[in-house]
Amino acid sequence: MRRPRDGVRLLVVVVLWLLLALFVLYPLARLIARAFSDDAGFSLQPLAAAIGNRDNVRAFRNSLLLATLVGICGTVLGFLFAFTVERTQAPRGWVRGLDNATLLPLISPPFTTSIAFVFSFGPRGFITHDLLRMNNASVYGLSSTLAAEALTYFPLAYLALRPMLAGIGGNIEEMAFSLGGSRWRVFRTVTLPLTIPGLANAFLLLFAASLADFATPLILAGNDLPVLPTQAYLQITGMFDLRGGAILSLFLLFPAAIVYFLQRHVVERRRFVTVTGKGGAGTPSQRISPLLGVGLRLACLAIVVFVLYLYALLVVASLVRAFGANYSATLAHYHVIFTEGLPAIEDTLIIAIIGMPLGGLYGVVMGYLVSRTRFAGRGVMEVVSMLNYALPGTIVGIAYLLAFNQRPIALTGTATIIIACYVFRYSPSGIRTTVALLQQIDRSIEEASFSLGAGSLTTFRRVMLPLILPAFFAALSIVFIRSMTAISATIFLVSINWTLITVRILENMTELSLGPAAAFSVFVIVAVMVVTSLLNLGLRRLTAPGLRLAIARQ
Amino acid sequence: MSVRPRADPVGIRLERISASFNDRSRGVVTAVRDIDLEVRPGELMTLLGPSGCGKTTTLRMIAGFQEPSGGKIFIGAQDVTRAPANQRDIGFVFQNYALFPHLTIFGNVAYGLEVRRRSTDEVRRAVDEVLDLVGLGGFGGRLPNELSGGQQQRVALARAIVIRPRVLLFDEPLSNLDAKLRVSMRAELRSLQQALHITSIYVTHDQEEAMAISDRIAVMENGRIAQLDTAEVLYRRPASAFVAGFLGRANLLRVTVTHVENGRATLAIGNQTLVACLDAPVSVGSAATVIVRPESISIAPPNGGLTGVVQTRTYLGEKVEYEVALAGQTLHVVRFDPAEDEGFSPGSTVSLIVPEAKLRVLDPGAGPT
Amino acid sequence: MISSSLRPAAGSARPSLGVGRRMFLGSALAAPFIARPAFAADTLNAYSIWPENYARPMMAAFEKSSGIHVNFIRFSSGEALARVIAEKGNPQIDVLFGGPVETFTAGELQGVFEQYVPPAAAELPARFKDPKGAWTAIADDPLVFMTNTQFLKQHNLQPPASWDDLLNPAYKNMLQMADARTSGTAVTRIFSILQVHNRDEAAAFAYMKKLRQNVQVYTKSGGGGTLPVGLGQAGGGIFFIVDALFTRQQGYDVQLSFPKEGIGSAAECIALIKGAKNPAGGKKLIDWATSADMQSLFEPDKINFVPANPKVKMSPTLAAVLKGANIITIDDEWAGANRKRIVELWVKEVLNA
Repeated sequence: MRRPRDGVRLLVVVVLWLLLALFVLYPLARLIARAFSDDAGFSLQPLAAAIGNRDNVRAFRNSLLLATLVGICGTVLGFLFAFTVERTQAPRGWVRGLDNATLLPLISPPFTTSIAFVFSFGPRGFITHDLLRMNNASVYGLSSTLAAEALTYFPLAYLALRPMLAGIGGNIEEMAFSLGGSRWRVFRTVTLPLTIPGLANAFLLLFAASLADFATPLILAGNDLPVLPTQAYLQITGMFDLRGGAILSLFLLFPAAIVYFLQRHVVERRRFVTVTGKGGAGTPSQRISPLLGVGLRLACLAIVVFVLYLYALLVVASLVRAFGANYSATLAHYHVIFTEGLPAIEDTLIIAIIGMPLGGLYGVVMGYLVSRTRFAGRGVMEVVSMLNYALPGTIVGIAYLLAFNQRPIALTGTATIIIACYVFRYSPSGIRTTVALLQQIDRSIEEASFSLGAGSLTTFRRVMLPLILPAFFAALSIVFIRSMTAISATIFLVSINWTLITVRILENMTELSLGPAAAFSVFVIVAVMVVTSLLNLGLRRLTAPGLRLAIARQ
Repeated sequence: MSVRPRADPVGIRLERISASFNDRSRGVVTAVRDIDLEVRPGELMTLLGPSGCGKTTTLRMIAGFQEPSGGKIFIGAQDVTRAPANQRDIGFVFQNYALFPHLTIFGNVAYGLEVRRRSTDEVRRAVDEVLDLVGLGGFGGRLPNELSGGQQQRVALARAIVIRPRVLLFDEPLSNLDAKLRVSMRAELRSLQQALHITSIYVTHDQEEAMAISDRIAVMENGRIAQLDTAEVLYRRPASAFVAGFLGRANLLRVTVTHVENGRATLAIGNQTLVACLDAPVSVGSAATVIVRPESISIAPPNGGLTGVVQTRTYLGEKVEYEVALAGQTLHVVRFDPAEDEGFSPGSTVSLIVPEAKLRVLDPGAGPT
Repeated sequence: MISSSLRPAAGSARPSLGVGRRMFLGSALAAPFIARPAFAADTLNAYSIWPENYARPMMAAFEKSSGIHVNFIRFSSGEALARVIAEKGNPQIDVLFGGPVETFTAGELQGVFEQYVPPAAAELPARFKDPKGAWTAIADDPLVFMTNTQFLKQHNLQPPASWDDLLNPAYKNMLQMADARTSGTAVTRIFSILQVHNRDEAAAFAYMKKLRQNVQVYTKSGGGGTLPVGLGQAGGGIFFIVDALFTRQQGYDVQLSFPKEGIGSAAECIALIKGAKNPAGGKKLIDWATSADMQSLFEPDKINFVPANPKVKMSPTLAAVLKGANIITIDDEWAGANRKRIVELWVKEVLNA
């Protein structure tokens, strides 16, 4: 029932709308306009032709198939890990180790898994040929792409499922167990049904990630598995058919939209568990037979070892002269990336460092506005703010290319376009985290601040911002990581003046300078680890010790 | 700042205040309907009622957290209806304390003063003083989550009064505390409010609490004020069955008026007769409701007069409670400090004695609105 | 973007270390919103289709001789052309450097080039220059078959000497070659096949369909398959000789051979972009690249292009490899006009069969 009486808030809302209109709606409008027109004007002909094209349909089907399989496999893996961590009384060292290992795929540049796969499973692959003595193994196609994507994205499922399993609380299972059910029965009838919303959410996360994945299929899908993101990319860059690429990327819009809406409804049904700081429900119990516990842990260990092996390959490739032919050790590749590659490193770091605070602040302000205040069009603003995040990167990249390549707003060739792409594409994670965090902070705290005489700005600055600091730092972190590792959107946006490490990696890959590609990848991983550790440290320092107890874990 | 009473307490006036909003499933819901209210300067008025009666909504409108859909609000001479909450010079004490979790106790209490840009020295002095006042001297360095519920509530109180607001607003501040603490805290609250002479509005659903601390009580029902008066008047002369039932327990008897004279009525109940006081005119032959409190009824062995039959007897140590059937209706009777041999077992016939002044005919015009 | 490996002291547009660092970092915050400050006396922007290993030393040498610094970024031919066309309204570069001729003829049809005839063009045969002056050749690059020695031994094969040799079932799933959507190498390959079949599209495409059975993957860039062949992950492929020889130079054990029916060669070209912001500098680069000044550097820098300029002799190693090879001519104009149609047909009939 309140009107926004604050001039400040009104101003902020207006500014945000302007930004959203410029950087989210306008590019999409241009994309759709291009897709629905031919040289004469508005026309459905190109779209009809595209739909009628058998190859496009095939690519569409492949994308859906791949995404579904990745969703299933990744969710299973993620559940395996989450269950092992939460239910088998794994020692702390284990948990820490699993956490760090699963972090790797999330912070790596693209192609890392794919490159390692090619080396391991090709006709002369390290594993297929040297270890298993197979000849003519094929590394291109559905199985490798599926495996690579599942390994790359399952940490998303793990991160989503783990707090959910933790929040369910062993008490329910204990009770079921005490009523006489076997452990398996308890699992089947109690644990599993309670986790279904979480499982569905994890599946959707992975489905969306695979749908949008451009890098892995580019390397591993081969020619028998065309998928939409790579098709769209190739259509534009190969056939210089911007319209065709635009249409293909719009094909991706439909499953992405469906996933988004499903997720909203599934997520909304989940209950949020607020931790009040009163001793957790962490009573250990004998729910899992020790043998099974060991088995589960071994399974996780095997997967972790495999993931580490893939990254070890990368490190080795960066340190030998010519992987596969000449294994003499050398630092030449690192020398190359820090001399000839230095501009790319500088550009990427500059963009990431500028984007970080912008993305963090935007995420937090937007999150606060949509969850805590009421104004006309609030719901619409929230949906619009999530658009660039929900859409596959290819769509966003092409849209930006179309929108900003000429007047009225010519931004190609600048860093602004890349930074804008990152900020509006990746800060929605920060928005969601802020919203989640705010849901656990009672409204009366802001009202208390108002009643004591503080205005909107002061309240935000002195009360809300410190409380949502974890979300702010999470947003910083995500924008940085994505800035360092993203490619699918920004491959269309690099220019003479600004280039990115990930694009350089791709170039190196295609020129088969594997050494520098690997060296760049290692650099990115290290840089991301350093920065996220610093951010975590900063967060710990800045957050009042009591605060972490009082606010739920994210 | 020191514990000096305000020299210039202000009154609060509500003129035809209403609040309605759109609920998705229920359509338009009116939480508060056309309320007129006047709170005297320095007074502690309680808004009392069951949940959903509109008391919290009214309080929040006075605070500025909610906008009325009609009417005006005055604090002192100033029309604050459109003023935002942070410009009304109020202190608000929340049910869940609403302490800032990331600030120390000192930081919490100092917040309002810092917003008003007081000097560091002034702030320190004022905060220390008020913390002493609420009995938390020395707690300044702690964090809210290190304190007990009662302590947190005191901090919330300190935070609200340190800024010397014109008005203090309390939204069920004690309902999260356990019973014993509630009793002791309400006494502290009241004595503090009186010492500071700050006009206060207090919201609660607990009638005992309301009676213990208020200067006047506004009993609310369905968005309207059912009756506004001191506790004593509300208890002794409730205007409606609702008010009667809300404060304390009440027996409501259905009777017929047989005779009216000089502010008293003779009433028929079954085939028995009572005489009761009248608060408002009634016509002979009409049906009426009579209220009598359980503790006002004496029970004696049958000796004429009003007679009933004991249905149940419950011994509760400090008191004995009876349910007595009378002309097809049930009377609750409470006898305090019962004698050892006083016992009327179920089934026995007893005489019921009620002083005339304790039997009142309810105003037929009053009642749920 | 690559900074010059020679790195002149205070003249680089992109100083990475030392002198300009503080100023650079300080202006970094403003940089996104303004054009990059040009510290050099003169700066040129280019897309290079040549891999960086080749482009870098050439650009460095150019800067040394002319004082003009070249900012370039490498794209494969399809990507580069797509970019240039997309940027038609607001050209980001001055020169398109290197890349097979069919890319340039296609670009000319889109009107993205500015006509400019360098002095060296007078010495060049007709094949190496556009009649209208839209582009000029800076090198020649024949296609070649490259196979892995171990693989051949294992299957008891000779290096393939005919197009049909590649249809041998022994090569099943072991060939890698370029994807025509992104790579000029592939387009040259397809037009070679068309030429060998006398432009009989039915016959040519029938061959390519059969060849497809043996292809492990079509790579994004022309040289993408060279390393797998070198490593033995693929048995063989069809590449430009510059990439094939580079693989051998790195130490991989590979064989080079030519089909007796003939195989094509693509001129590598350079062109000035219409609407370039520094046309004078661009012209200087074109003059330099089309002359012996640049092309005499091929041999010492171990870049295995055949020089286009007749004044420069090709390196003895290269000559030895090309001895006896049947290099046929492709009608570049015809190729340029039909590029889109043929590539689309290839995608439909061969790639997605």
